[in-house]
Amino acid sequence: MNINSESQFDAIIIGGGATGAGTARDCAMRGLKVLLVERSDFASGATGRNHGLLHSGARYAVTDHESASECIKENMILRRVARHCVEENDGLFITLPEDDLAYQAKFVESCRAAGINADIIDPAEAKRMEPSVNPTLIGAVRVPDGSVDPFRLTTANVIDAKIHGAVVLTHHEVVGFIIEQNRMTGVKLYDYGTKQTKEYRSKLVINAAGIWGHHIAELAGVKVNMFPAKGALMVFGHRVNNMVINRCRKPANADILVPGDTICVIGTTSSRVPFEECDNMYVTREEVDLLLKEGEKLAPALASTRILRAYAGVRPLVASDSDPSGRSISRGIVLLDHETRDGLAGFITITGGKLMTYRLMAEWAADLACKKLGVNEKCRTADVPLPGSREEDKAPSKKVYDMSATATKAAEGRHGFMTEKIKAESLSDKAVVCECEEVSVAEVDYAINDLHVDNLVNLRRRTRVGMGTCQGELCACRAAGRLAKASKCAQRAQDDLTHFLNERWKGMYPVAWGHTLSEIQFTSWIYEGVYGLSASDNK
Amino acid sequence: MIKDTFNISDNNFEQCLKCTVCTVYCPVAAVKPEYPGPKQSGPDGERLRLKNPDFYDEALKYCLNCKRCEVACPHDVKIGDIIQAARIKYSKKKPGLREMMLANTDIMGQMATTFSPVVNLSLGLKPVKAVLDGVMKIDGHRTFPKYASQKFESWFKKTAQASQAQYKNRVSFFHGCYINYNYPQLGKDFVKAMTAVGYGVQLLEKEKCCGVALISNGLIDQAKKQAELNIHSIRRSVAEAGIPVVGASSTCVFTMRDEYPHLLGVDNADVRDGINLATRFLYSLVDSGKVRLAFRDDYKLHLAYHTACHMEKMGWAIYSISALRLIPGVKLTVLDSQCCGIAGTYGFKKENYPTSQAIGDSLFKKIEALAPDYVVTDCETCKWQIEMSTSVPVKHPISIIADALDVEKTIELNRR
Amino acid sequence: MKFDTIIIGGGLSGLACGIKLAESGKRCAIISTGQSALHFCSGSFDFLGYVNGFDVETPASTLEKVIPQGHPYALMGAKRAVEVAAVVPEFFARMGVKVNGSIERNHYRITPLGIMKPTWLSLDDFTVIADKNKLPWAKVSIQNIEGFLDFHTAFIADNFEKMGTTCTITAFNLPELKHLRTNPTEMRSANLAKTFENVDVVKRAAELINRNAGDAEAVVLPAVFGLFDDKAVQELKRAVKLPVCFVPVIPPSVPGIRTQIMMRRRFQELGGTYLLGDTVNDAVVADGVVKSVKTANLGDTVLEADNFVLATGSFFSHGLVAHPDKVVEPLFGVDVKADADRDNWYNSSLFEEQPYMSYGVIVDDSFRTATGGNTISNLYAAGAVLSSFNPIKEASGAGVSLITALHVADLIINKK
Repeated sequence: MNINSESQFDAIIIGGGATGAGTARDCAMRGLKVLLVERSDFASGATGRNHGLLHSGARYAVTDHESASECIKENMILRRVARHCVEENDGLFITLPEDDLAYQAKFVESCRAAGINADIIDPAEAKRMEPSVNPTLIGAVRVPDGSVDPFRLTTANVIDAKIHGAVVLTHHEVVGFIIEQNRMTGVKLYDYGTKQTKEYRSKLVINAAGIWGHHIAELAGVKVNMFPAKGALMVFGHRVNNMVINRCRKPANADILVPGDTICVIGTTSSRVPFEECDNMYVTREEVDLLLKEGEKLAPALASTRILRAYAGVRPLVASDSDPSGRSISRGIVLLDHETRDGLAGFITITGGKLMTYRLMAEWAADLACKKLGVNEKCRTADVPLPGSREEDKAPSKKVYDMSATATKAAEGRHGFMTEKIKAESLSDKAVVCECEEVSVAEVDYAINDLHVDNLVNLRRRTRVGMGTCQGELCACRAAGRLAKASKCAQRAQDDLTHFLNERWKGMYPVAWGHTLSEIQFTSWIYEGVYGLSASDNK
Repeated sequence: MIKDTFNISDNNFEQCLKCTVCTVYCPVAAVKPEYPGPKQSGPDGERLRLKNPDFYDEALKYCLNCKRCEVACPHDVKIGDIIQAARIKYSKKKPGLREMMLANTDIMGQMATTFSPVVNLSLGLKPVKAVLDGVMKIDGHRTFPKYASQKFESWFKKTAQASQAQYKNRVSFFHGCYINYNYPQLGKDFVKAMTAVGYGVQLLEKEKCCGVALISNGLIDQAKKQAELNIHSIRRSVAEAGIPVVGASSTCVFTMRDEYPHLLGVDNADVRDGINLATRFLYSLVDSGKVRLAFRDDYKLHLAYHTACHMEKMGWAIYSISALRLIPGVKLTVLDSQCCGIAGTYGFKKENYPTSQAIGDSLFKKIEALAPDYVVTDCETCKWQIEMSTSVPVKHPISIIADALDVEKTIELNRR
Repeated sequence: MKFDTIIIGGGLSGLACGIKLAESGKRCAIISTGQSALHFCSGSFDFLGYVNGFDVETPASTLEKVIPQGHPYALMGAKRAVEVAAVVPEFFARMGVKVNGSIERNHYRITPLGIMKPTWLSLDDFTVIADKNKLPWAKVSIQNIEGFLDFHTAFIADNFEKMGTTCTITAFNLPELKHLRTNPTEMRSANLAKTFENVDVVKRAAELINRNAGDAEAVVLPAVFGLFDDKAVQELKRAVKLPVCFVPVIPPSVPGIRTQIMMRRRFQELGGTYLLGDTVNDAVVADGVVKSVKTANLGDTVLEADNFVLATGSFFSHGLVAHPDKVVEPLFGVDVKADADRDNWYNSSLFEEQPYMSYGVIVDDSFRTATGGNTISNLYAAGAVLSSFNPIKEASGAGVSLITALHVADLIINKK
């Protein structure tokens, strides 16, 4: 085993989801020397496997006042600091004939109590505002819901952490800890690239690994009582709705339809799953049927809309320490100081919560870290915009070869002001790799060079390559060509191509009928029939 | 039995499997780099425009609306409709004087026929052409079709109308602007052919330009008004009197059948099947044994049939070709179906002239090499383009049939 | 309208069947919703490439030993399948499509990634490779067109080098291609091919290719030459001093489109009617016989025929449609072989055998379809719409399409 002697960190943060990235950014902004480690890719866990809903908090207003008021506060903060990750769409809470209209009054009252603007509007007005909404609705409330792109949000946090000096390692897995006299002093990381294990020293380790934090804690010899709660969702081929549509009733399955970028997402279901399944989420036929049945009630057009794929994420629910049975589970933020809790110094776990409160979670974790390290710096993440949302990043454009207007517009949606970093060096760099999502060669190269992209799945999360209607049929091979060029290893890129297509298929087969099946048959003809790719290439 | 393979709802663009077949058959994309191509402009673009209307690209104006992408699409995506509908919905460019002039074919025609000798002379004069070219941006290479001294309608009312009552069968003739103002002879040929088989011809109660040029030049409100007026007249004929409406121009017929509902939102479902094309109407009568045709023995010609884009889209070239094949003395060559490049008023615009000619180039070469007596086509603007770009004269199939017909014998055959 | 046979589907099998019937003097019509899967063809035709994952060297002799019951080849008998296959090169030659290869022994084709796949016939453009593990050259010059994203030089080079062939990668550029490069999406194979229809451009490309080739023994180029005929291919091969090895690119496939064009031309020259962009939307079936069909475009025109052939393809072409709970043949609702439980349609690994790939219509040993187990005596099925074969795992797609189509044509011709 090698020892990384080059540096000693103040804090090592485990987990490249929104919480980990946010914590890394917060700590780095307060002057800590930070290492962020992620075993696979940014936003590859629960962060990237939810609705992408910028909650107003209205959903929790009746049942969980505290979550609701956290949400609306964070909602307003994200609109300021993460403008390029957020779409200010607003949301509707609709009452259908089968629902109890009496719930509406209680709902509105609870929203207001939590500080959420909730206005009852006429159903006819709701139909005008959102033509896709179920026309049989009998009641509607407008709330400040929106959409947030978790991939962009996480990437922006990572970029800023790096700007503030953080070191970031993806494809590095924690395989052990260095514990000396009840104090954690470092981590052992397995590097999937070099296939070697190295030690990294630090004063503090923060476990922000979501549901996988359970396992991380076990590795450290402490117990955190987590319960994996699976939520399945489905992506439709285009934006059916432009406002978020929710049901105005007690939160239930499949009652939120969120527009996000070029698509919309219906979800979720909720079910307990064993830990062994967390790494291999799949969506069952029952879940698909349920999502469709309920989704059509929100927007009947979904019945005739192409389904791109289905996916599932795992929420890290945490049982309170006083109740290890897990009967009273909190959906709130859980911050554990293992020094006081378990007698293990230098180790903190931040978990629970939700995407919406990632920043607040990071703030809590960073506050505790700073306290422990004796650093007296205040959190600034609620005020300082993320890269991409910072006006000052917008440099005057002097490019010889601009990208096409459409590709530029699409890129601005993904990178905000960071789009200025995308340079088309030649006419050929303007060429479009992904035609569904308008991703140019220049943008792909930018992502490969600057945004920790090692494979096509990484690239998809940074740029939406392969996220469109054809799910990679046209673009995967072109993008693989760029990766082959960058890595100078064609075999690796070819294997990656097989892996990527398989990953797309995993989300498609639960919904593979109609055009979705036609599309995948076409993809198989091309990649297996014409190109000759096969499973054996994926060794 | 049968049905529902394809979805024709607003979600139609989702049927696109990104197979890129449409891009092969787009006549513009290969020669005009500014045009994003049918896939990007159509289904791909539509998805982005639903996300944000700002994704609308004014370069969609380079689409010819030939619909060859739709014909090629294996998945019945209405690519051309999606593009034209996007232009209508999102374009911020307002039509100028040139667009008004090119689009208002009937107003221009009305004025021009009244003063036709003057207009024909002046439209051909160099200084006038220079003004059209320099100020109006109407390309100087273009020759406007000549205007007739007497409108078809005037001729019909004066000469033919009275004798139509003798026929027990009836058709309402949608003559369109071209026949009315530029080429009444085709209208006369139609009357000749129809009456020979025992069908009396009448005009519609009221007829306005079908509006195809208004649509392509962005004058949508006016197009819609004219569409409503036409459909009203058509309804009176088809639905109330049970008399089919027949037009000679493939573009007029296509516009009224398909563009009215798809682009203008004018519902024609109840009468759409009653709007027919002259060759289709005539050939179907022959094919079903209802009428018989007799042709002159001395009519011997080599003809080359050119399938106009909207004929290709309607899938009706088979009727014109089958009708022409009925003539014993005709040697018929069917040219490979391709766009001639004019696309109505598109090719008249100065900025489109090179594109227009580049698109038609291989067609012109084939025609010159073949050197037929006539090129035959159902579309009047294809006629202008081919006559302007080759040395071969162009005729409508109905004119060919009228010329070849042994009228007396035909009348005899159809008298029962 | 009356025909001897109406074929629904205008791809490889529909065209092959139509041509064969037309060659024996039958009056045929082909109805095709859009352009076909030939647009994505590799440029080679597979008959039987793999059995249980192993390469097939001698398809003719292997077939008799391994063919499973119910497989389209088994329905006609392995002997008969091989017999039909043996005449395919001559059949192609009659329409000007030159192919190399033999049913006795497979050769290898180079895929767009530089992988070797066993195949039966390859278009004359392509190099026939005998040895899977060895190319006939020690050193090649792989040359792309600058800015063309769809030709995968790095992958090709990597796989070639593994076979011991040294590769250099370069790209050439021509001013005539700038207009395509300016457009971010339309530098596609077919648009490149349109530019290369000009012989002068091909000659200039050849000069650059010769200059870049260095001391290589062959040049490897993207297969983007010869869209409407193979003139550009011939010219390039003549002007390039070294052997030219074409490698296919991302769809659309230029050699595939050319094959489609030449087949369609042959069919039409034989008097066949090809209705493109049209869809059958009604059919009359009585007493186990299809009487007639109607189409979306032709409306009330009744299309009658003695025999009908379903050559509508698989899911991609909507010859089969999957609903969440069942798989159907959408036009006639004929019996389909497919698992009733959707959970059994797929393998969760994309590159494993996918059960849905072998779903299709059920036919008797005369390739006649049935509804509810009752044979429709004049509705045949051919090609990808058939069940019980996996075109990808067997590498048999083109073979089944061609062989069943020609066999069905013979059945119809010999029908009493």
